[in-house]
Amino acid sequence: MPARDPVVTLEGVWKRYADRDVVRDLSFELRPGELLGFLGPNGAGKTTTMRLILDLVRPDRGRLSVFGLLPGGDQQARIGYLPEERGLYRDSRLVDTLAYLGTLKGLPAGEARRRAAGLLTEVGLGDVLRRKAGELSRGMHQKAQVVAAILHDPELLLIDEPFQSLDPVNAELLREIIRDRTARGAAVLMSTHDMLEAQSLCDRILLIDEGRRLLYGTVGEVRAAFGEGAVVVRGRDVPADAGRYHTVAVASPADGRVRFLLREGATPRDLFAELAALHLEVEHFEVETPTLEEVFLRAVERSRRAA
Amino acid sequence: MPPGRFVGLVWQVARREYLRTVRRVGYLFATLLLPGSAVIFLAVSAVAAGGARPIEPSPAELTIHLVNESGVSLGDTFRPGLLRLVERGEGMALLQRGEIGELYILPAGYPGSDRVERLILPTRGVDVVELERRQRQAGLLEDLLRRALASASDLPGQTVERLVEPMRLAEATTTGATGRAPLSVAMFVLPYAFSTLFVISIFVTSGYLLQSVTEEKESRVIEIVLSSVPALPLMAGKIVGLGGAGLTQVAIWVVTALVGLPLAGERIPGLDQVRLAPEMAVLAVVYFLLGYLVYGALFSAVGALAPGTREAQQYAGFFGMFAVVPLLFTGAFLADIESPIVTALSLFPLTAPAAVLQVLILTPEPPWLLVAASLALLIGFAALATAASARVFRATILLYGTRPSLRRIADAIARG
Repeated sequence: MPARDPVVTLEGVWKRYADRDVVRDLSFELRPGELLGFLGPNGAGKTTTMRLILDLVRPDRGRLSVFGLLPGGDQQARIGYLPEERGLYRDSRLVDTLAYLGTLKGLPAGEARRRAAGLLTEVGLGDVLRRKAGELSRGMHQKAQVVAAILHDPELLLIDEPFQSLDPVNAELLREIIRDRTARGAAVLMSTHDMLEAQSLCDRILLIDEGRRLLYGTVGEVRAAFGEGAVVVRGRDVPADAGRYHTVAVASPADGRVRFLLREGATPRDLFAELAALHLEVEHFEVETPTLEEVFLRAVERSRRAA
Repeated sequence: MPPGRFVGLVWQVARREYLRTVRRVGYLFATLLLPGSAVIFLAVSAVAAGGARPIEPSPAELTIHLVNESGVSLGDTFRPGLLRLVERGEGMALLQRGEIGELYILPAGYPGSDRVERLILPTRGVDVVELERRQRQAGLLEDLLRRALASASDLPGQTVERLVEPMRLAEATTTGATGRAPLSVAMFVLPYAFSTLFVISIFVTSGYLLQSVTEEKESRVIEIVLSSVPALPLMAGKIVGLGGAGLTQVAIWVVTALVGLPLAGERIPGLDQVRLAPEMAVLAVVYFLLGYLVYGALFSAVGALAPGTREAQQYAGFFGMFAVVPLLFTGAFLADIESPIVTALSLFPLTAPAAVLQVLILTPEPPWLLVAASLALLIGFAALATAASARVFRATILLYGTRPSLRRIADAIARG
């Protein structure tokens, strides 16, 4: 496979559980060295998509390839995974557990142990290498599992809600690790609810809802798609109540100003006209690109209205 | 997946599961309970018997010192060395000096009166070995007196013999086959207890498997493991590793039995007749492995689909009932080893391991036709159970906190 070929490719993939399609006609690519932010509300199908890539579940329809091959098989050893549902063997020593997980990824036992000890020390867990997981704090667990995911130097890293329950110091440490991995050429698929995190870290964004792709592109492209979606207004007695306007979906006051997220189809011009019709005294009117969070909300709202 | 990688993953998982299990306190306790109990029993019985004195007395210890004040001629009707006639004074002196344990006196009124005296020194307690020895002596003395009295009546020698030993029972069937040797309590109880332990071992080992799966599922570590090891080699590794732990346990028990039985046989009458035939030992291991494979596969699936440990144990208990059914039907096995219920239990895969073990204990020669049919069914069922369980395992292991519907389980088995 040439170096820049996609690491992961999904084309029209479907997955059904019981009577519900949890992944519908999903297509995207993930390239080497790229960090793809995987966004969507709870139950959107993000975890199932990751499990499809890992061959933990199989698609009902569509084409899915990992490193140019069907999922599963030898390429499993080239993937690192940090699942949303995390855990370690409670009655085993941390270094033993990580060494075991390393051997399952194909590392020789001694090398796995050496790497586990080294990486645990790097993330500040050098003092608790020989402690049992049951004796560690949640944050320590989290860091140990991040180490488990990168121990074998994977070319593809799937991380599901990695910043969940991390304190700011450890969140920054994780950001460093993620940046380091992508800099080394690893492809990273990161599921997150944290839009600011996604906006600052990710190269591209994939937003899904109810298993369907809603948005896919660079952060700039995605925000630009809703380019005239937000307006900041400063004026006397401007109500910060979306219910007072036909054109506004969300209104939020901030620093003597009101930020309006426009309804689908409404333009800044429509809002301006509405403010004038209400005889409000406007001192400042500025069109802004919506934040990723606003994009997320509007895209989901649009999708659900269409359904 | 290439076979080499599959085997490598199975080995990694098996190695870890084996080492993790054999280091558990519960496992060590269960494994060492039998050898430990045997050592304690031998030690306690040796101490209770006053040192290393065995229950079986030597001929010298059985020698009867008798004062004959009756008119009965004892003559040469007794095996030499087992009777020493003494004068009352000499006998009393021997007794007082502790050179003999007891002195028998045949009084002047004998045989008009049936009274025979046994003089002993005063004691403060009961010595079980002494009681046993004196009981044997009394039997020998009764034998001696019968012969002496019969000889005095001028009866033919053969009649005297028959009066002393009226018959020796030989059993035969209507087809002319020789009946089996009578089963002593020890000959039955010990192998039976052994087979019960055996079934327990299958359960304990399958229980470790269940525990391993539910633990990984509850701690959520399963998802990380499954991202490296597909469901089938993971399940196979667990079955192999924990089966190895179970086999280690059984091996320790078998060695204990082989070493302990001859030693304990000196202390428990009838125990030295117990033999562990080589073919039975081999079949026991085969049935252990297949029984464990069947229950291990079922318990893996149960562990995967149960939402928690408690539910997993409840579901496993349902299957576990089958394994103990043959032990509940022991009466049927003792009454008629060829009865339909025995055959049915020996053929049904979930009851076969415990049932066939009982059949092997109770028959002088293994019933090879039944064993072959039972093994064929067990192997077939084990293969099906493993394949179906792997599919259920894969389909349900990542469902946290929810119980999959029967439809979903059936769908998983059918579609893979």
